[in-house]
Amino acid sequence: MTPSAYAPALQRRFNVGDRVRVKAVHPPGHRRTPSYIRGKAGAIERVCGMFPNPEELAYGFDGEPKRVLYRVRFKQTDVWKSYSGPGGDWIELEIYEHWLDPA
Amino acid sequence: MSKHNPADIGGEPAGAIDTVDHGLKFWEKQANALRNTLTSGRIVRLDELRRAAEDLGLRYYRLDYFQRTTEALRNLLLEKGVFTRAELERKMDEVRERYDA
Repeated sequence: MTPSAYAPALQRRFNVGDRVRVKAVHPPGHRRTPSYIRGKAGAIERVCGMFPNPEELAYGFDGEPKRVLYRVRFKQTDVWKSYSGPGGDWIELEIYEHWLDPA
Repeated sequence: MSKHNPADIGGEPAGAIDTVDHGLKFWEKQANALRNTLTSGRIVRLDELRRAAEDLGLRYYRLDYFQRTTEALRNLLLEKGVFTRAELERKMDEVRERYDA
C-alpha cells in the first residue's frame, strides 16, 4: 500500500452543515464527480481532509496543490426523480471542493 | 448532458448480475501481479490506470475486466515511454516462440 497523502484542511471554503451545489458541468478528461450528482444540492456532512488532485494525478502530474475533499449528503429524492424508497433516505458522496458552489 | 467516461454509469439500468465465481485464469493472476508491482513501485499510479481505461472509449464496453485493465496498462506504459511499441512487439514475438503459440 502507498502511504496516504492526507493533509488537514486548514484553509477551506465550506464547513459541516453548509449547503452546497455540485457544478453542472461536463468537461472532458478524468473526472471524479459522477454525472448523476452534477447540479444537485446537498449539505456538507464532514471535511475529509486535503488530498492530491486525482484529476491531475490521472495524467502523470503530482496532484499539487492538494484539494479539500468533503463528504456531501444528498436526499435520495433530490437525486433520483423516480426514487421509490423512504423519503428520509440519504446518499453520501465524497466530492472535491473545486466541484462545489454555495447553495 | 454529454458523457465522456464509460466508467461513469451511476443510475443506469444494470441488467442481470453474474454472481458465479469464475475464478482467475493464470494470465489474469500474472496481470494482477504486474499491475500491483508497477503501482507499488510508483511506475504508474492507480489514477493514471483508471484514466487510461476510460480512454479506451467504446472498447471499454467490449473488453472484460482483465483485458481492459491490461490494455490500459499497455497503453500507459507506451505513453510514459517505459518501452516502445517496437520493443513490445519484439518481446511478444519472443514469448510466442517460447510457447510455440
